[in-house]
Amino acid sequence: MIPVLGRSLVLLAVLVSVVGAMVGFAAGIRPSPAGRLWTRRFAYAFAAAMLLANAVMVYALLARDFSVSYVAQVGSRQVPDWVAVVSLWSSLEGSILFWGAILGVYVAAATRSLGDRHPEHMPYAVGVWLACGAFFSFLLAGPAHPFATMLQVPADGPGPNPLLQNHVLMIVHPPCLYLGFVGMTIPFGLASAALLAGQLGHDFLRTLRSWLLAPWVFLTMAIVLGGWWAYEVLGWGGYWAWDPVENASFLPWLTATAALHSALLVERKGVLKGWTVTLVQASFLLTILGTFMTRSGVFNSVHSFTQSAIGPTLLAFLATALLFSVALLATRIDRLSPDGQLEGARSRDGMFLLNNLVLVLFTFTVLLGTVFPLVVEALRGVQMSVGRPYFDRMSVPLGVALLLLMGVGPALPWGRATTAQLKNALLPPLAGAAVFSGIGLALGARNAWTLTTLAFGGYTAQVTLRELWLPLRQRLYHGGESLGKALVLTQRHGRRRIGGYVVHAGFVLIVIAIAVSSTMGVDKEVLLHAGESTELGPYRLTFVRADQVDEAHRTSLVARIEISRDGRAVGMLSPRMNHYHTQREPIGTPAVRTGFGHDLYLSIMNVDPATQTLGLHALLNPMVGWIWIATAIMAFGGVLALLPAHRRAEPARAPSQAPAAMALPQ
Amino acid sequence: MNRRVLIAGTALVVPLVAILLVGLGRDPHVVRSPLIGRAAPSFSLRPLGGGPPISLESLKGRAVALNFWATWCVPCVQEHEVLAGAARTWGAKAQFLGVVYEDQEDTALDYLRRKGSAYPSLFDEGGKAAIAYGVFGVPETFFISPEGRIVEKFVGPLTPSELSANLGKALEATP
Amino acid sequence: MRRLALVGLIAGLAAGLGAQEPTEVTAPDPRSAVGAPSGRALSGSALDAESDRVAGLLRCPVCQGLSVADSPTGMAVKMRQQVHEMVGAGYDEEQILSYFERSYGEFVRLEPPLRGVNWLVWAGPVGGLLLGAFAIRRALRSRPGTVGSAGEPPSDAGEPLPGPDSLPADESLAAYVLSVRERAYGWPGGISPSRPDTLAPPRKAEGSAS
Repeated sequence: MIPVLGRSLVLLAVLVSVVGAMVGFAAGIRPSPAGRLWTRRFAYAFAAAMLLANAVMVYALLARDFSVSYVAQVGSRQVPDWVAVVSLWSSLEGSILFWGAILGVYVAAATRSLGDRHPEHMPYAVGVWLACGAFFSFLLAGPAHPFATMLQVPADGPGPNPLLQNHVLMIVHPPCLYLGFVGMTIPFGLASAALLAGQLGHDFLRTLRSWLLAPWVFLTMAIVLGGWWAYEVLGWGGYWAWDPVENASFLPWLTATAALHSALLVERKGVLKGWTVTLVQASFLLTILGTFMTRSGVFNSVHSFTQSAIGPTLLAFLATALLFSVALLATRIDRLSPDGQLEGARSRDGMFLLNNLVLVLFTFTVLLGTVFPLVVEALRGVQMSVGRPYFDRMSVPLGVALLLLMGVGPALPWGRATTAQLKNALLPPLAGAAVFSGIGLALGARNAWTLTTLAFGGYTAQVTLRELWLPLRQRLYHGGESLGKALVLTQRHGRRRIGGYVVHAGFVLIVIAIAVSSTMGVDKEVLLHAGESTELGPYRLTFVRADQVDEAHRTSLVARIEISRDGRAVGMLSPRMNHYHTQREPIGTPAVRTGFGHDLYLSIMNVDPATQTLGLHALLNPMVGWIWIATAIMAFGGVLALLPAHRRAEPARAPSQAPAAMALPQ
Repeated sequence: MNRRVLIAGTALVVPLVAILLVGLGRDPHVVRSPLIGRAAPSFSLRPLGGGPPISLESLKGRAVALNFWATWCVPCVQEHEVLAGAARTWGAKAQFLGVVYEDQEDTALDYLRRKGSAYPSLFDEGGKAAIAYGVFGVPETFFISPEGRIVEKFVGPLTPSELSANLGKALEATP
Repeated sequence: MRRLALVGLIAGLAAGLGAQEPTEVTAPDPRSAVGAPSGRALSGSALDAESDRVAGLLRCPVCQGLSVADSPTGMAVKMRQQVHEMVGAGYDEEQILSYFERSYGEFVRLEPPLRGVNWLVWAGPVGGLLLGAFAIRRALRSRPGTVGSAGEPPSDAGEPLPGPDSLPADESLAAYVLSVRERAYGWPGGISPSRPDTLAPPRKAEGSAS
């Protein structure tokens, strides 16, 4: 019964998305209000079918209905209900189904919020969204069907991959990643619509930028949450390994970031329209490439799903989308004619171009390194690896350059500047550079790249804070407003700009935290018997005992380690080694004591409760906690920048808001 | 039609898709061993259950099946009977050797006591033999010719026919 | 009883073999594979630092993409130990990497060595940088024409900021005024994109539609 219902909904989704895509394109070519109305209706129908199909699956997972093939594959009576729900995205078929749900939500939200605002563009955009929807619902109907009927209904199932049950971040990370990945479909549709309609006006650009920013915020959080998960679960003490799947999530982030910046040039100067549209298209295409990497079994990765039959189908879709984009860009890009011109290199314009160069180069480098083993195997027949040493070597200079540009760009005026203006703008932030690198030196930083990062970070931090402070000061001292009112009004009227600088501030912090944590950590590996202790930095770690803890779905060996700092007891840490009943090899859970200065990170190498011995890997990771904080700051900035766009998206804007904005400083 | 965009786009897209297409068939988890055809790394290791060390040199003149295994490895358990049976039938022509990989010595010895053993298993202190042979996981079996060259590496549990085919190859490899 | 017999059998099998040539336990020796150590034998913290660095260049074979230095698995611990011993014996980085490469293949090197087409992975980004720098130079050079994606002649190129409000004729002064407005009102570029009734001029007719 449930499988039949699920299959019907999937087939309904295929039907409405295919028809809706055709209606959309038709309504784009021959505009009519009825065509647009019906396009929207199909968009809603697609969303409804996908959401219902997901609801049916969640019900089946909770009811442990093992007649549904996907439930038989990942469900289990042993696991708690939240794990059962999370199982929705724990394996291939379910993850595609979940993808469909997110796509449905996005399509419905974008359709609803944009309404009939861009009549030349919207039918095309909805058409492209539904075409993507058609592909994913086709996957669900054929190569990755989760709703097959089990002929022999098993009494119980194996449960989802233990790695997913191991940490609560696994509830947050995948949905966040999907919101980022799937969300790129929306700007892709809008950019394609701009090309198809042959125009990218100011209003439409704002729409495009907002709908690019939303998934960008999710993607930013998802990438870092993935790193956090790796840090808390995989037990090697790091958060980023340049694994192919990590790279896959990073690639669209880079191009989307580039697009968000070049869109500012389009908005301000009316130039680089075609380039911006290209970057938006690339961001979507890279999400599909990333999906292929994760699910085709071609790449060797911790995060990849088991080898599956959908590889060829995904590749076909990727190839189609790539060719569609190239053809569309080649035939239509010339219609997006520029309305202005660029200033010279010594202006903010020039810095925007350099920013785009660095981001695109970064994308190219990461992509090249990720697929290069495939190239070499095809050409030389040799299996080789491109790993962390390569990516570190390449990405450090690029990241540092980006950090400096982030300071120099906003310091420069938009137009051309005289030498005196340049000096005025560029010299004062050197104070920030000196302060940051001075602090670093005093705290023992000696690595040249770390010191460079600190100097550039200080420079950029000063510029960023000044840009945040200036409008506020204007209101405080010249407008005579109270601090509270000034804060509210400043953020209300320059929300997008302030949001942007808040993101920059978060980024500066994140880069510094990465540089410091990856060069200034200390670690040691020791073998301890019960009662013995070891020293690490200010800590004394005493191995008290090892216990065995039995739970329904796993047996854990837990090492109890007493921590004292500078002679004072500060508590107990319990890293564990989990043996899941359904999995052969044990999975460790490190114990982390997060602090403002550094984390104390304990990971079990081996533990034996019988002899009460423990092989312990202990690390002091400086500043890692700041990465998570900085990401929250970045996300906050992104949301701040999004807010007014959402308000404008409402058909009727409250006119009463306008006057306050007009108040001029005397 | 913008020629430059078309050319640049095609130049990026076509190689990418082609590479992914070629890669589609591959399994990244299978890595070919570069040791095949080369001299087997020599060793002299202590057998489980006591006795003098066994060296590869001392086995010259007979083919060797060198099997890396562990008690925690499920396919190794399946394979155990096959190897034990073959060790009896091939007797004089080929020597079978086990090497315990990533396991405790007493656990392995206990396992052999329960399961029985037809040939010696060696204890690889510090995993040095596993490193020298480039072991990725267990079970992996190396077939070494009578004059000490690695003829074949087999990944996964052996069936009797695969085992005889590979041992035959090792014996024929005599120049 | 049966157990005892088996233990005897295991030991007997071993004894039968070992009796031919009673030797001491020797693990495979890197010397036979990569020759005598060609570097300086290290010790103490220099040894630890160097072996950590070299282990970071080796791919842990049983994990997925992690280096031997990073991986917590047992096999990686043993490989770290092997690297440590080799560094301690005076083997240099290249010797250690090629010792592991002999058994695991080029796969085991996380940093691609320069051979065959591998140089492409190093040259690619450099080529990209040059190409990009060239493109930017062209884009900025082509002023006062436009740098639309197509590089076509400008459709409506002319004054950079047409509009009703008076901006100084001097280009750099105009830019300065705009940056002051930007600071004061918080609108990017000093231009309010959706409110044509402000000081700054509207960018384009469509822009006022919202």
